[in-house]
Order: sequence, then C-alpha cells, then structure tokens
Amino acid sequence: MEEMKKRVDGYRFLPPSLAAWIRTFIPEGDFDGSIPWTPLAKSLSSASVALVTSAGISLKSDPPFDMEREKREPLWGDRTLREIPRETTEETIDANHLHINTDYVKQDINVMLPLRRMEELEQEGFIGHLADTAYSFYGFQWENTDFLAEAIEPMSKKMKKEGVDAVFLTPA
Amino acid sequence: MGLAARFLEKKGFSTVVLTPNHHFHRAVGIPRSAAIEHPYGRLLGQVGDQKGQREVLLKALPILEEAQSPGEIRHLPFTWPEDPKKTDWHPPAMSPVIKLYLNDLKEARKREAEKAKERKGQTL
Repeated sequence: MEEMKKRVDGYRFLPPSLAAWIRTFIPEGDFDGSIPWTPLAKSLSSASVALVTSAGISLKSDPPFDMEREKREPLWGDRTLREIPRETTEETIDANHLHINTDYVKQDINVMLPLRRMEELEQEGFIGHLADTAYSFYGFQWENTDFLAEAIEPMSKKMKKEGVDAVFLTPA
Repeated sequence: MGLAARFLEKKGFSTVVLTPNHHFHRAVGIPRSAAIEHPYGRLLGQVGDQKGQREVLLKALPILEEAQSPGEIRHLPFTWPEDPKKTDWHPPAMSPVIKLYLNDLKEARKREAEKAKERKGQTL
C-alpha cells in the first residue's frame, strides 16, 4: 500500500517557464463539466485492449506526419490517423513530432506504444486480447472537432469492428 | 489525448490515459488517468527496459476495472532514475508554438516569481 502513496509531480521534467505557462491554462478546482464514462463490461483478463498514442508514429510505408505545415502555422497540428498493426517493430516505423525527442521510440517502440509488452500480457492471460490494430496520431490538437471527425471517429469504428473493449492511451 | 479519450468513452469503450501531466489532464475531464513521473516520449520506461515497461502496464491497466468514478486519477509509484535536466526529452529544435509564445512563457514565470515573493512577504 505504501507505494501507491506517491504523488506524481507532473511538472518535474518541464523547464520552469513552460511549467508556469501551462499552469495559466489550468483552472483551480476540479473539472466542472460532465465526463463520459463507460464501465468495463468484463474482466481485464477477458477484455480486448487497443493501444493508441499521439507520439507521431507512422509506418515507413505510410506518409509521415506533416511537420512542415506546423512550422509555418505554429497553432496547426496534423490531424490525420495512422494504423499500426500489432506485429509492428521499430524496424518498420518512423516517428515525427515537433514537441518531443522521437529518437527513443525509434529505438524501442514500447516506450510509447507497448506492443511487445501487451503481447506478453496477452500470453499470460493478464489481458484477454491485444487488438490487431494500434493507432497513432499527432498530439497538439486544441478544441478541434475536425480532428474528432477525421481521425478519432474512423478509429472508433475500426475498434468496434475488431471487438475492442478498452483502450490504453499514451500522449506525447 | 483528452478529446480522444472522451470521444471513445462516449462510443462505448473504457479508456485509461497514461499521463505525464495529470494537472493538465484533470482540467480537461479525462475519464481515467494513470499519472506517471516519466519524461515525455518515454512514458512506459527506458529504451530496452522490458521489466520496467511491464511494471507500468501492470499498475496502469487494472485502473480500467478498478476506477470507481469519472475523472479518477491514480498516481503510479515509479521514480525516473535520471535528473530531469539529463532526460533529453525535448525535440532538437524549439517547437513552433513555444517560439510563438516565448514571451508569454517568460511573463508567466515572472508572474509566478512575483506571487511567490508576495506570499513570502506576507508570512514574514
């Protein structure tokens, strides 16, 4: 029980000026809107789990995320989606992101999209199934309804088709 | 990522976000969060650290079953072994949005420093 008492410092890795700026966007108190909620309808050991990241991972055979337009338009972020088959390894991916160092994920995909670790947990029965498809998009989407329509809705449809119950997301 | 998680819950999926900044994600109403003190771009752990990556998943995935109410944040017990300044998580060049708002960043820091000074003065 002792180990769960840690209080994570979400600013630990940020430069002080960036941390101070981010804090200007965070209202005091709890979130006061409604939060959508779907209880997991089955045990984790029988659930199908999909992975999603916003680390800008793409297959080498697909177009990379568009960095050039963002350099010209700093408030724009590529809102397209990439499908990443579960057997994907570092050898077949590229990663493009203007907000993080992508060297690490190109060396070991599992640091952001833990496909191998999830396969192991599937074999051990800790999860029921790792979905056949994982997904990557590019973070940095402000309140953007186009992003939902163009990337997230198609992703959710494919998840339904593949029988996904739960989703594990890793933001960049 | 908040937008995606909220959308997916509405469509009938249970979600959990492994977040490096729970303060920000709390403010946007994420359904379930696993807060982790790992650097951006390596949320699961270090390159090649299979054991560490696995431990993160073993702690984070059960939140899907165990979270009791919307907005729940569970703090994971992991500590990154490197000094934050040595984690090299930043992109090679300053991101366009940071470049655009650089003065705002400096102002925000200045205002926080002034407020801290005021608070210190009040307690003396």
